[in-house]
Amino acid sequence: MTNRTLDIAVTGCAAISAAGVGAAALREAVDAGTPCLTPVPAELLGEPGHYWGKADAFRAADFMPPLKARKFDRSSLLATVTAGLALQDAGATPAALGATRIGIALGCGFGGIANSVEFLSGYFSAGIDGLVPMLFPNTVANAPASNASIEHGLKGPNVTQVQRFCSAETALQMACRFLAEGRADVMLAGGVDELNAPVMQGFHAMGQLRRYAHGFGEGCGILVLERRDHAERRGTAIRGTIDEIRTIGFIPEEHCAAGTDRLLGATAPELLSLSGTAPEWPPVANIFPAVRRLAVGPLVGRSLAMGGLAMVSLLLLLAPGQRGLHLAASPEGPYFGIDFTGGGPV
Amino acid sequence: MRNSRIAITGLGIFCAASKDIPTFTDALLTGKSAIGPVDLFDVTPFPSRIGAQVKEYRPDDYFGKKGAARLSRADQFAAIAAGQALAASDVRRHYDMFDIGVAVGAGAAGMIHSEQWLRERLAGKRGHPALLRGILPDRTATALAERFRLCGYQGSVTTACSSSATAIGWGAGLIATGQLKACLCGGTDTLSVLTYAGFNSLRVVDREPCSPFSLGRQGISLGEGAAFLVLEEEAAAVARGATIHGFILGYALDGEAHHMTAPEPTGAEAARVMRDALAAAGLTTDNVGWVNAHGTGTPLNDAIESKAFRQVFGQRAAEVPLVSTKGLTGHCLGAAGAIEITATLLALQAGIIPQTLNFRGTDPECDLDYCHTGPKPSAATVALSNSFAFGGNITSVVISR
Repeated sequence: MTNRTLDIAVTGCAAISAAGVGAAALREAVDAGTPCLTPVPAELLGEPGHYWGKADAFRAADFMPPLKARKFDRSSLLATVTAGLALQDAGATPAALGATRIGIALGCGFGGIANSVEFLSGYFSAGIDGLVPMLFPNTVANAPASNASIEHGLKGPNVTQVQRFCSAETALQMACRFLAEGRADVMLAGGVDELNAPVMQGFHAMGQLRRYAHGFGEGCGILVLERRDHAERRGTAIRGTIDEIRTIGFIPEEHCAAGTDRLLGATAPELLSLSGTAPEWPPVANIFPAVRRLAVGPLVGRSLAMGGLAMVSLLLLLAPGQRGLHLAASPEGPYFGIDFTGGGPV
Repeated sequence: MRNSRIAITGLGIFCAASKDIPTFTDALLTGKSAIGPVDLFDVTPFPSRIGAQVKEYRPDDYFGKKGAARLSRADQFAAIAAGQALAASDVRRHYDMFDIGVAVGAGAAGMIHSEQWLRERLAGKRGHPALLRGILPDRTATALAERFRLCGYQGSVTTACSSSATAIGWGAGLIATGQLKACLCGGTDTLSVLTYAGFNSLRVVDREPCSPFSLGRQGISLGEGAAFLVLEEEAAAVARGATIHGFILGYALDGEAHHMTAPEPTGAEAARVMRDALAAAGLTTDNVGWVNAHGTGTPLNDAIESKAFRQVFGQRAAEVPLVSTKGLTGHCLGAAGAIEITATLLALQAGIIPQTLNFRGTDPECDLDYCHTGPKPSAATVALSNSFAFGGNITSVVISR
């Protein structure tokens, strides 16, 4: 499945991750190639030896009054602040562009789980008296995108995708489509995930901490997208372009070659970004062996919506005119191949 | 989507009102409510103890022991409804597996199983890890793709109560833009302690079966179920001799950017999404015979949706019915949009406008035609289906027979 000749301009980006707050911190970590993972407190899991990429430098109070921050879950805080930074980077404000013409499409892997566990624990422990109504609204996975839209006044298309390790890529695909169809002039797109005790304990119970031994991560990576003609009319710098998006869902083992072929574009990339389980996906080893590879998972941790951070990283590294291929994979699908071209300096 | 009509060539449903399309059609036409006592889990602590639960459900009737163990209740409902839709369309015989995708509107997913894990943990037990398998809402799309070998696209929209309406609109868009030849799209959701306790804690659940747009309505009745549609481009469907049940003509999704739980009070945003959907379909309100409302039965939703409806339809507001089918199916959250789009299509085909059940009296804030007294015969060919969600995620889909 292909979105041909999209010609979508990236006019801004922002990131919060274990590397720090802001895209520059992520760029620095990627350049250094030094993992930002730290030990998971042993008391959290009942055993030592596991690592995670916690965005410890992020403090919501740096961006909003504490009383306001209290009503958000952590994913919503990460998304709301990152969205604000991305809008600022792109010089795009709803007031100038029209609130109904700006939307958000966000991948969100584990959003809502911490609130769900807290809400249910109250009920299971204390019965109906233990229910805390204010927790319930943030149990939905769309809370981060919705809270970001409420905070910044984004009234265009608003959607959340959860699709395993390709959640952010699925959201990006939707955002590009909405722009191409004229449903919006500017779309924020990317991914957000949070790490918390319930999520880590769930991973631990399911054996996922051993399976994905690089360590799980949290954070938010958002790109600001618009049609090239709109960006040019606005006179804003184009930091890069998204040229084509290819995706497939499930690949039966006997059709692996046919499936893989559908993911690769017509031109060879100069930089290969690997996200989700793409680094461990067997066919990837044989794809473009001489091309430089970028994998942010080992640096800031892996999450279902890590594609947001990976795509921001790719954009940051691409030189003007340089071609990048972002490959993302999940066990049992889906798979994405997204062509980027570098633009002006980010 | 103006140049390419997206045909519906397969339909499937599994919910409290019925376990297949023929009996669902009968329930819709005769107004048989599926709302009754809930016994899926202990509801005695709550003020409301009713809902639209799928009763007499035995997974063994549909799945092998191993298959059932790998699927959450939500996955199972989805697999049954999707299986009906795919069988009806016979689409897999005609297209390459990489040209057929699956787009699911997901809600609480396997939460009911994960709740058991949490209970066990809180009781100091280990908790069986398999109970966590279906907790993420994307599990259903993956399970359907694998089960039915649909390899072209795999995506899960999770925008609470508008999830599956958006998934259907999105699936139609993927075909209209030539990215897929066919798409299985719809939604699934099941009752869970989380949502039952959650909506009760917000005091928006009616103790009696929900009575949308009525005087004295107290809120929703929760439900569960799944509905799936197979979509493909009209000319391709005609060329392969498929039965065409109707069309998805356009859709819109917007953000109200107002509040996480309260609808925007003027109705301007809800009006905008209906107008945007009609514009996407290349139609005007003159083309619309009736609207399947979000119509939850909460005091706020119904008044504001009525207000929005008046803004969109103007002078025609008095003659175009605004009906809710939630008295029949309950509010199925992530699956609500798909179930209601299916109901809308079936009613269009049958030439009726369905009844809004459980009328308790006229509310001055809801002064439109809601078909409270019974279904009406109708020659309408086009209807809208509205889905409004937590977070101000609002979607409207244009359907024709």
